[in-house]
Amino acid sequence: MKAFLSIFALTISLSASSQQYITRQGTLSFDAGSPLEDITATSNSATAVYDAADGKLGVQVLMTSFQFKRALMQEHFNENYVESEVYPKAVFKGKFDDGRAIGALTIHGVTQDVNVPASLKEESGTAHLLVEFEATIEEFGIDIPGAVANKIDKQAKILVDCKMQSR
Amino acid sequence: MKQLLLALAAVIATTTFAQEEDLFDLLDEGENQQITFATFKGTQLINAATNETPGEGVLQYVIAHRFGSFNDDYLYNFFGLDNAQVRMQLDYGVTDRLNVGIGRSSFLKVADSFMKYKLIQQQSGTTPIPVSITLHSTLNYRNARYTDGIEHDLTDRFSYMHQAIIARKWNRSLSTVVSPSLVHFNLVPTANDPNTTAHVTLGARYKLTNRMALTGEGTLLSNREFSGGERFTTPIAFGVDIETGGHVFQLHISNTRAMNAPYWMARNPYSVSNGGLFLGFNISRVFTIKE
Repeated sequence: MKAFLSIFALTISLSASSQQYITRQGTLSFDAGSPLEDITATSNSATAVYDAADGKLGVQVLMTSFQFKRALMQEHFNENYVESEVYPKAVFKGKFDDGRAIGALTIHGVTQDVNVPASLKEESGTAHLLVEFEATIEEFGIDIPGAVANKIDKQAKILVDCKMQSR
Repeated sequence: MKQLLLALAAVIATTTFAQEEDLFDLLDEGENQQITFATFKGTQLINAATNETPGEGVLQYVIAHRFGSFNDDYLYNFFGLDNAQVRMQLDYGVTDRLNVGIGRSSFLKVADSFMKYKLIQQQSGTTPIPVSITLHSTLNYRNARYTDGIEHDLTDRFSYMHQAIIARKWNRSLSTVVSPSLVHFNLVPTANDPNTTAHVTLGARYKLTNRMALTGEGTLLSNREFSGGERFTTPIAFGVDIETGGHVFQLHISNTRAMNAPYWMARNPYSVSNGGLFLGFNISRVFTIKE
């Protein structure tokens, strides 16, 4: 019995340590553009963590790491819209479960529950997370002034593409 | 032996579980270095330059007016509009750090060119940098005819300003700037007068809302009195910044009318006490040339 227990404990400890994945160079992009204005931005320094044993999944990105095509748009994004000095990052904490990412998404200090289709492929020491979903900007308390309301899509399309390595 | 093994396994297992508990802590352990953005709304505070430059590939057009004084037949001159001084500026962001531009002012018909370079950028994170330092130089050429009846060399018409703009964004509302500057005029009234004078600009902006801010600036100068009896005053200005998309409107009141640094900094004859108070504005518009 003791032998069995010790082997069992060992197995857990070994498997657990080999089933965690991480990257700090994940890609996270969004598109909130309209026919009037091209509003897209990409960050290549998103952090993603995943534990295959229990499905725990976390993704985080610094708002100032988003690169826009236009410098002024980037400044407005940080200063007037997401207020990066007060809310420096966007975070998802939750689970990957049966083809879905389920958890809490925090942007601009506001947390919303999300449950969206996702793909996560484990392959020889890597785990590739791919999620494409839409978020309603207003739900995160981000104010869009009337003058530019028709230039910004109220539904931002968000693409997460993170190739994690086992740790 | 078995017991030892069990204990060992248990320890390993616990450590691993502990690690799992901390999985989300890993999110915060990454890169957190951030360059401070938008210390000021515009590349100019009022008359003084800020540490900001347009981003790479951005063309900026600035039009600035300084109206006539309040005590100079104010209504007859349509609130000073009829005798406004005008300056136009066109500048370009060669890189995110380097900015070059040209300008033309109606005051003494001065044409100018300038260069601005962001030497150090304020940053927060693991290796914080407390201030931004931008280097700024202007070259100014007076096109106005001399009325002193003396034959002047071409070089007489040049003046220069060099400065280090030290800026800090204290929080999202308050930003300040301290700019030690040198002004050089090739031509001064007499041989007893200094060609080069030292100046320090102090300025601040306070954001009221995301798109509106109060601004103020003043410049200390090393030489006020020149041998010809001329006396130059401390330039001061207060204003408001209003931002709408690609425009920044800067409305202000100041005791200066010239818009080229050597002239408003080192050769300002007006003072508030004898009615030298002028309304003015700067409007900038940016165009993204290269995405």
